[in-house]
Amino acid sequence: MASVNIENLDKKYGALSVLHSLNLTVADGKFVVLLGPSGCGKSTLLRMIAGLESISAGEVQFDGVRVNEVHAKDRNIAMVFQNYALYAHMSVRKNMAFSMRLRKVDKKVINEKVEWAASILGLDSYLDRLPKELSGGQRQRVAMGRAIVRDPDVFLFDEPLSNLDAKLRVQMRTEIKELHQRLKTTTIYVTHDQIEAMTMADEVVIMRDGYIEQSGSPMMIYDNPNNLFVAQFIGSPGMNVLRCTVVEQDGRLLAQHEDQILALPADANVTAGQVIYYGIRPEHLEPVKLGEGEGAVGGAQAHIRVVEPTGPEIHLYASLAGQEICCISRTRTQWQPDEPIVVTPDLEHVHLFDVETENAITPNH
Amino acid sequence: MTSRRTWLPNWLTSEHPLPWLFPVTSLLLVFGLYPVLYSLWLSFFKRNPATRIEKFEPSWNWSKLLADDRVWDAVQVTFTYAGIALFLQLALGMAIALLLDSDKRGFGVLRALMTLPLVVPPAVTGMMFLLMYDSSFGVISNSLYALNILSPENPILGTGSTALWGVIVADVWQWTPFMVLIMLAGLRALPREPFEAASIDGASSFQSFIFLTLPMMSKIIALAVLIRGIDLFRIYDYVKVMTDSGPGTATETLTAYAGTVYFKSANFPYASAVALATLLLVLVTSTIFIKLFKVRF
Ligand SMILES: Nc1ncnc2c1ncn2[C@@H]1O[C@H](COP(=O)(O)OP(=O)(O)OP(=O)(O)O)[C@@H](O)[C@H]1O
Ligand SMILES: [Mg+2]
Repeated sequence: MASVNIENLDKKYGALSVLHSLNLTVADGKFVVLLGPSGCGKSTLLRMIAGLESISAGEVQFDGVRVNEVHAKDRNIAMVFQNYALYAHMSVRKNMAFSMRLRKVDKKVINEKVEWAASILGLDSYLDRLPKELSGGQRQRVAMGRAIVRDPDVFLFDEPLSNLDAKLRVQMRTEIKELHQRLKTTTIYVTHDQIEAMTMADEVVIMRDGYIEQSGSPMMIYDNPNNLFVAQFIGSPGMNVLRCTVVEQDGRLLAQHEDQILALPADANVTAGQVIYYGIRPEHLEPVKLGEGEGAVGGAQAHIRVVEPTGPEIHLYASLAGQEICCISRTRTQWQPDEPIVVTPDLEHVHLFDVETENAITPNH
Repeated sequence: MTSRRTWLPNWLTSEHPLPWLFPVTSLLLVFGLYPVLYSLWLSFFKRNPATRIEKFEPSWNWSKLLADDRVWDAVQVTFTYAGIALFLQLALGMAIALLLDSDKRGFGVLRALMTLPLVVPPAVTGMMFLLMYDSSFGVISNSLYALNILSPENPILGTGSTALWGVIVADVWQWTPFMVLIMLAGLRALPREPFEAASIDGASSFQSFIFLTLPMMSKIIALAVLIRGIDLFRIYDYVKVMTDSGPGTATETLTAYAGTVYFKSANFPYASAVALATLLLVLVTSTIFIKLFKVRF
């Protein structure tokens, strides 16, 4: 077990800079998820921690000790590669056993561990096949198996579930989380699936274009996004964002989007005439049919476009003054397309962002 | 479909493979199959050296061949020569290829320079080494004398125990680059990811070489061994130029012996039998190798 520290880490490919002075601390035993869109540098960061990619500047530390010069084989990490990186000429069994064979682990122990991993991963009947005789998802599971039979200081996972079907993915998600709860091994997990990040992480690190945008517990980030990018990246369906102008009516500040008016929280740190982004998550935007539920103050009028029942709730996609929004209804109302509705924001959960910097506008206290 | 050439038989139209295969097939038949069959035919005659009369007696040359000690000596020399040279070329070729397998600046030039020995004609290589082995001014000989490894009383090519090694060195110098080329092509085509995975799994570079590089290269290595092996079996030029099978018959290979019988004794039927025996030996050995190592083309 080890804590991982990253200090002012830079990565340059020639003149191209892909990571910019990153700082990150992963405490011992934590499950940290690196989340970000494709090409933001997640794999690069992971490979630098693994020792597979040279470090242009800055430091990687394990337990406070600089490991920049330590060879990958001596870092005692286990890694699942995005492209599997299986040993093509070895059977599934041998692929998984390879690291133990190198460390001269007892044959019996090797067999037990491999069979344990295979049963978790549902690979029991494939142990004697070659990688080329497996499907993409099966290969990915072999790559997982190769990592979990180890007893490393740090687990590094690079999108290990991206090729599995929905059911298997949910199942494996639970397996990995359980495994982590049992082994308590420091884990750094890369994904661009925000649901995976939310469900698995002790701490989520959101990256964009080689910068860390925000890090913290999933719920903290969900509730308090630092900026517009984080706000929209986390959550599904995504946060509704409306470009509004702050107006003053009867001594109260309101947000106006086209001809619609939305209430602002009382402690909003804005002034009349200011242009802002008004962010509200779908579950905090309550829909009622127009004319019903009178007295909904600060609600805006919208037209339903699509109704998506998911079971526990109904997602309504509607258009608010030409802008697509989504809101969630937890009642069993019969919503109809084209129906006019009134959506009311829960003022506790309104996020305001500066249009210039896109940073969150922190409320007055 | 209407064609203007319906009067042509089907197998002469461009859709049929035969017209396309005809030129190369006929070349092979004329310059490959015919000489072999003619040699076989020739080997069935008994030649009287005095009268120069050839008489049809199919088993004469073949039974003579089996009873000829020089043939068996030559077989032994050929196998020794081919075995040692092949091993050295393979080991050196792999080692040099591993050293040259790099994207660093300058390695492209090194790789190109490495192939230079391949453009030297083998006979010239033989003469070059002949000079370097010369006991009075040869650079190799003199260096070995200076290091007290050899003494001038036993010149390299004039001593039975060292002559074959002398020839092998020339062969290794010339043909190791060929192995390097094949190995490099293989090494540079290997995927990078499994090696990264192996280093994460804790493999040293030596272990990666043993457990990943070698198995992943096995097909290419087998093919290289086959190509070079067959080539080594028909070794003629170095022996002819450097030792002319000497001293005595210490460096007489099968082809060298066949040449001697052919050109010196002018016993064409027996020379044909010896040459065909060489061909047979190559065929059998390479077939066993192909079966054993499951080489696929
Ligand atoms: N060898 C390389 N040479 C130059 N640029 C590279 C190299 N490897 C990666 N990059 C660049 O670095 C950036 C980050 O790549 P990286 O693979 O880390 O992205 P990622 O976040 O893992 O994306 P994905 O989710 O698609 O896997 C990309 O813009 C990529 O083009
Ligand atoms: Mg990636």
